[in-house]
Amino acid sequence: MSRPEKNSIATLFVSRKTWLHRLHPFNKLAYILLTGVVIYLGPDLWHVELICIVLNLGLAISGQVFQVTWRLVWRTLLPLAFFMILIHGFLYPENRTILLSFNGMHFYQEGFLFALNILLQLTAVLTASLIFVLCTHPTDLITAIVQAGFPQSLAYLLGSPLLLLPIMRERIRTIRDAQRSRGLDSEGNIIKRFFSLFPLVAPLVLGSLVEIEQRSIALEIRGFNAPGPKTSLNTVSETTWQQLLSWAMLLVSLLIIVYRLWK
Amino acid sequence: MNIMPALEVSHLTFTYPTATRPSLKDVSLSAEKGELVALIGANNSGKSTLCYALSGVVPNFYRGGFTGSVMAGTMNTTEHTISELAQQVGLVMQIPANQLSGVRYTVFEEVAFGLENLGVRRSEIIERVMSVLEVTDLSDLSDRSPYQLSGGQQQKLALAAVLAMSPSILVLDEPTTFLDPEGARQVFEILLDLKNQGRTIIIAEQRLEWIAEYGDRVLVLEDGELVLSGTPDEVLTNQEIKEIGLDWMPYTKSAELAKQRGLWQRERQLPSTFTATVSGFSNPED
Repeated sequence: MSRPEKNSIATLFVSRKTWLHRLHPFNKLAYILLTGVVIYLGPDLWHVELICIVLNLGLAISGQVFQVTWRLVWRTLLPLAFFMILIHGFLYPENRTILLSFNGMHFYQEGFLFALNILLQLTAVLTASLIFVLCTHPTDLITAIVQAGFPQSLAYLLGSPLLLLPIMRERIRTIRDAQRSRGLDSEGNIIKRFFSLFPLVAPLVLGSLVEIEQRSIALEIRGFNAPGPKTSLNTVSETTWQQLLSWAMLLVSLLIIVYRLWK
Repeated sequence: MNIMPALEVSHLTFTYPTATRPSLKDVSLSAEKGELVALIGANNSGKSTLCYALSGVVPNFYRGGFTGSVMAGTMNTTEHTISELAQQVGLVMQIPANQLSGVRYTVFEEVAFGLENLGVRRSEIIERVMSVLEVTDLSDLSDRSPYQLSGGQQQKLALAAVLAMSPSILVLDEPTTFLDPEGARQVFEILLDLKNQGRTIIIAEQRLEWIAEYGDRVLVLEDGELVLSGTPDEVLTNQEIKEIGLDWMPYTKSAELAKQRGLWQRERQLPSTFTATVSGFSNPED
């Protein structure tokens, strides 16, 4: 059974035949954990963040998902960067050194660097997470969780957003088009756009709530909570070195956490 | 010897938790093995609620005021979970997109989902999935994403997913809503095959022409009450169905008009199918 190509399916997964795609999902999950721990609990140096980002982008190139990764990082962080740099540049409590001044307002170096540091941290964690999402088949993740002996409900909880979020995105587009066809103006300045959000959000939230109910029933009638052991159509194999790799990353993460707590 | 019906509903009354009036009122019915029973009625007449009750969704999921009993084979729906009942009663819901698991990537995997939950061996899963995909004419789409399918194809997928679990009773809530006439015919042909294999089929349906052609028995619901039952000919040509928001089919109307003008024998049963209409007009003396 083959799997659909990225372009033909509503999910973030990019179908490629690289070592990163073949890697066990737990390896990639452990890598996200390790990145997060190193970034937030490791040495407070921007070099570390930069090294992590470079490493992650290297992995993205190796997994043939660099372009998608870069595009998603850019789209996610650019608006955030704009507001963070602005807010911290002007209002960071430890602001001392003026970088720019205009109309009596000062933009400070400390706030700017602080915002930049946060953005680097976010970029490092985001790129690691994107590598996971882009290179891990959602079904493989769910299968791996169930195979590892975790409850199916946990697998569903972790796996379903990967498939359902793009569907939600599609629904937003449909609602937006429907509201536009009835005269809603969602273009224009930021205030106009903000107020046009309400007619979009209400049907989305209400529709999703109804769908949750229907989907719960759908799962039940498909035997989701049937007693007895489950089987799996797909299997995800994990080699010994992959197991060791996961454990090694977990161990290093744990050591950093313990060191941080002890220190 | 008393043969136990495949499905038996006794004095079922159900009120949704937030409702003030019951959605089903003292409903009693039974269906035999290999019988195709159609539920018809206007909107909000209780068809979907009855479908939920037959599959155990009511009262296991919607826990309202429930009295009476629903027996699916030997299983009392109040004493088993929906998942336990799933092997006995399969439910195909009205909106197929909502019936997708949300965690399977291809049509093949989607159909296999229920079997995985039931712990069926992998080799058997593959065999059963391939078989139902062929029956439902979805084999060519097995590698596609379920979300890429058209409404009609999703409806067939929902049916395939339930069929794969081999329930002896199949409950379908308006399964042809998104289908074109050819798609609807295909679904009814599948149901006919299943019926001939001995499955019991309960179908809530608005398209009366299919009911007339394929149904063994028709039950009419009005405001949660079972008001009429009989063969398709008896029910679909009955004046009463006009009074509850349904209408006669063009075949019946044309024969009635012909009767008034002396072109249809007075004693002859009004037709509910195209074949019976043609036969009535071409052999008026029969």
